[in-house]
Amino acid sequence: MKRDIGKSMLLGGALSLAALGAHAESFNWASTTDPQTMDPHAVNSAPVLSFLNNIYEGLVRRGQDMSIEPSLATSWEPLEGENGWRFNLRQGVTFQDGAAFTSADVMFSYERASNEAADVRSWFAPVTEVRVVDDFTIDFVTSAPNPLFPSSIANFMILDADWATSNDAALPARDAENFATLNVNGTGPFTVASRDPGVKTVLTPNATWWDDAAHNVTEATFTPIGNAATGLAALLSGDIDFIQPIPLQDVEQVESRDGFNVLEGEETRVIMFGFGHEHDTLLYSTDVTDVNPFQDPRVRLAAAHAIDLASIDRVLFRGKIEAANQLVPAGISGYSEANQNRPDYNPDRARELLAEAGYPDGFSFGLKCTNDRYINDEALCRAAASMFAAVGLNAELSTGPVRDYWPQLREDDFDMYLLGWSPGTFDMEHPVRFLLHSQDDEKKLGSWNFGNYSNARVDELLPLVQQEIDPAARQAMIDEIVAITQEEVAYIPLYTQPLIWAAKDNIDLTQRADNFFMLRWVTVN
Amino acid sequence: MVYFIAKRLVQSLFVMLAVAFLAFSLFRFVGDPITQMTGVETSVEDQERLRDELGLNDPFAYQFARFTGDMLQGDFGFSYRTRQPVAEMIATRIPATLELGVVALLISLFVGIPAGVYTALRPRGAATQAILMMTLVGVSIPTFVIGIILIFFFGVQLGWLPTFGRGGTVNLGGWDTSFLTVDGWRAIILPAITLGVYQLTLTMRLVRAEMMDVMQSDYIRFATARGVPMGRLYFKHALANTMVPVITIIGLQFGGVIAFSIVTESVFQWPGMGLLFLESIRFVDIPVMGVYLVVIAFFFVLVNLIVDLLYVAIDPRLRIRDVS
Repeated sequence: MKRDIGKSMLLGGALSLAALGAHAESFNWASTTDPQTMDPHAVNSAPVLSFLNNIYEGLVRRGQDMSIEPSLATSWEPLEGENGWRFNLRQGVTFQDGAAFTSADVMFSYERASNEAADVRSWFAPVTEVRVVDDFTIDFVTSAPNPLFPSSIANFMILDADWATSNDAALPARDAENFATLNVNGTGPFTVASRDPGVKTVLTPNATWWDDAAHNVTEATFTPIGNAATGLAALLSGDIDFIQPIPLQDVEQVESRDGFNVLEGEETRVIMFGFGHEHDTLLYSTDVTDVNPFQDPRVRLAAAHAIDLASIDRVLFRGKIEAANQLVPAGISGYSEANQNRPDYNPDRARELLAEAGYPDGFSFGLKCTNDRYINDEALCRAAASMFAAVGLNAELSTGPVRDYWPQLREDDFDMYLLGWSPGTFDMEHPVRFLLHSQDDEKKLGSWNFGNYSNARVDELLPLVQQEIDPAARQAMIDEIVAITQEEVAYIPLYTQPLIWAAKDNIDLTQRADNFFMLRWVTVN
Repeated sequence: MVYFIAKRLVQSLFVMLAVAFLAFSLFRFVGDPITQMTGVETSVEDQERLRDELGLNDPFAYQFARFTGDMLQGDFGFSYRTRQPVAEMIATRIPATLELGVVALLISLFVGIPAGVYTALRPRGAATQAILMMTLVGVSIPTFVIGIILIFFFGVQLGWLPTFGRGGTVNLGGWDTSFLTVDGWRAIILPAITLGVYQLTLTMRLVRAEMMDVMQSDYIRFATARGVPMGRLYFKHALANTMVPVITIIGLQFGGVIAFSIVTESVFQWPGMGLLFLESIRFVDIPVMGVYLVVIAFFFVLVNLIVDLLYVAIDPRLRIRDVS
C-alpha cells in the first residue's frame, strides 16, 4: 500500500513535469479588479478597457510609449471640405469567429458605442455623422475641427455586426446580461477560452491575428486578487508570474528575493488638492464662519507653500514620486514647458501670505480625502494636514472610501479636497475640459470641477484649443491656460503617482503609463 | 413535528424580511452605485438617466417594496456591476462557501472534541497546558493574520500548498466541489484551518468545561465504582451528556462561520459568497448585497432549526416531552 502511494506520487511528479514542458509559455497574472464585463462598450473603466484591449481592437491603438499607431485603420487623414476624419481600414482582417472585418462593422460599433446604453458614448460627443464610403473607408464627421479625435478613440473597440446582432447583443447590456457580456469575438491578439467571472479567465492566442505576434504566450490565465498580501504571497510562491499593482511597502520584500523584478514607472495620474472656489463660507471651520478664505488666491498660494513635498516623497513614497507643477505630467501632449515652476516649500512665505490676506493666526477648515483610491492617500492627507497646521491652516481631516466620496464632492460638502486625475486622452485638453472649465452641465464641461473654479479666459480658450490644428498656436493657448491657473492657484498639483508592478524575472513585459497591461508584449523566458 | 418545522420556516420569512429591511435602510450609507458604475467621462446627464432607470430616485419605501416583492416572486434582480442574474451569481458561489464551512467545522470537531476531553481528564498535564496556551493564542490573533501567517509559511516558505483560490474543482450537477481532486483538497486546507481555529478553540474549551463538570457528578462516580470500562465511561456516558450545550453553541457558530467566512475568503481569494459580498460592497452593488444578506439570514434560521432537531435526537427526554 505504502509503495503504491510512493509510486503514484512519483508518477504525479512526472506528469506535472511533463505538463510543465508542454506549457512552457503559459502565463498567470493577477490584478486587484476583475473586468466586470467582456462588452467593450458597456463600461468606461480602466480594468475593463485594459483587459479587453487584448481581445478587441480599435481603429488606432497605443504603442509601448503611448504613441498612436495604426491598428484596424492603416491610415487616416482630415476630411476635405468639412470637419472630421477619414479612416482607411485594414483589409484581410477577420474576427475570431472567421467573419471578415469591413466598414460595416465600424459603423455598427459606432452606433452601438454612441447609444445611450453605452458608457463610452462621451467619446463621440463631437461626432455629428458617420459615413461608410466603401467597404474599407469610413468618415467620421465632427462638429468642429478636431485634431485629437483619432487619439481620443484609441479604446473604441470594434465588434462584428453580424455576430452581435445575431446573438441579441446589438446594444450593451443595460438590465440583464447579454451574449456580449460573457462572450467575445474580436480581431485582437487573444481570445477568451473560458471565463468564470470574478474567479478566473483564460485567454489563448488568436491564430488568425493580422499582426505579427511579438509575445510567446500559449495560454494566459487571469485571476483577480483583491487582497494585496494574498497577491504578494501568490507571486512569491510562484503561483502567479506577474501582478499589477503591488503596494509601495512591499517593494523591498519583492526586491530582496531572488527571481523577482519590480517594475517601476510613473502613471499619468496627477494627485492634487482642490478648493471650494464658489463656496461663500467654510463648512467645517470653527473660527471663520462668515467668509471662505480660500477665495483669496493668496490663501491658496499659502497652502501650496506649506506643502513639503520632499518629505512626503521620502517618508511616504520611498523617493518614487515625481513633483507635479500642472495637471498633467511632463511627456503628455500639451504639457506646458513654459510653466514648469511649482510653489516651493516655504512656510515663512505661507505665513506672510496668510497675514497679508488678513489671517495672521490662520483659520480652521475641513479637508476631505479618500482612503482607498490612490496610493497612500490617507497617509498623504495626514502629512499634508500637519504641514498646513504648521503655518496656521488647521485642517480637520476626514477620510472615507471612494464609493462614498464623489457624491459628497458633488454635493459641495468640502472646504478642500484630494483628487487624482489621469488624462484619458493623454492630452492637456482633457483636464482643462473636466477640471478647469466652469461647470456647465449642458455642454458637459467642468463635470469634475467640484469647487467650480471659473475663469472667463480659460472657458474661452478651451474650444479654441480643441479645434486648433496648428500645434504651435495650440500650445500657446494651453500655455496661457496653465499660466492663468497657476497664477490663481486653481489647484495645488502635488505629484505624479508611481506605477509599481512585480513579476518573476523570467518574464519580459511592457509597463505602459496608462496602467494598461498588454499581453502581446509578454515574453516568457 | 411537521407542524414545528413549518412554524419555524414561516418565522424565518419574517426574520429575512427584517434583515432585508435593515440592510436596505443601510445601503444608502454605503455609497453611490452610479459613480461606481460609470467612467469619469460619463456626463452628469447620463448618470442621472441611469439613476432613474435603476429606480434609485424612488422613495425608500417604494424601493424596498419592489425589492421584497420581486424576491417573493423569485426574481432576485441583476447585479449593477456585472449584469448577471443575482440568483445565479450567489448560487455559483454557495458551494465554495459551504464546503469551506463544513471542512472548517469538521476540523474544529475532530480536533476540538478529543482535545477537550483530554484536557478535562488530565487538567494538570503538561500537554494540557500547552494545548490551552496554543488555543489562547489562536483565539487572540485575528483571522486574517492567521491566514496570512499560514500562507507565508506553508505557501511561500515551504511551497507545500497553494496560496489562493480553490484549485481543481469538479462539477457535479451544477455543484462545483473541491472534494474530488487532490488540488482541491490541497487548496482547502489552509482556509479551512483559518476559518476553523476560532470554532476549534471554542469547542475545545466548552467540551473541557462541560466534561469536568460531568466528571464530578454522581452517576459518573457510581459508574466508576461499578467498574464501567474507562473508554466507555468517558466517551459514552460522560461525553454524551456534554453534547447538548456543545451542539447549541457549535450550531449557532456554524451560521457565523458561513456568514463570517468573508475575511477568510478575502485572504485566500476563495471564490465564495463572502468574497462576492466584499466585491459588491466595493462597487455598491445593492442587489447582490441585499440578496446575500437575506440568504445569510436564511442560513442562520436553518442552522437554528437543525440544532433544535438535533437536541431531540440526542436527548431522549425531549422526545418524551414532545410526545406528551
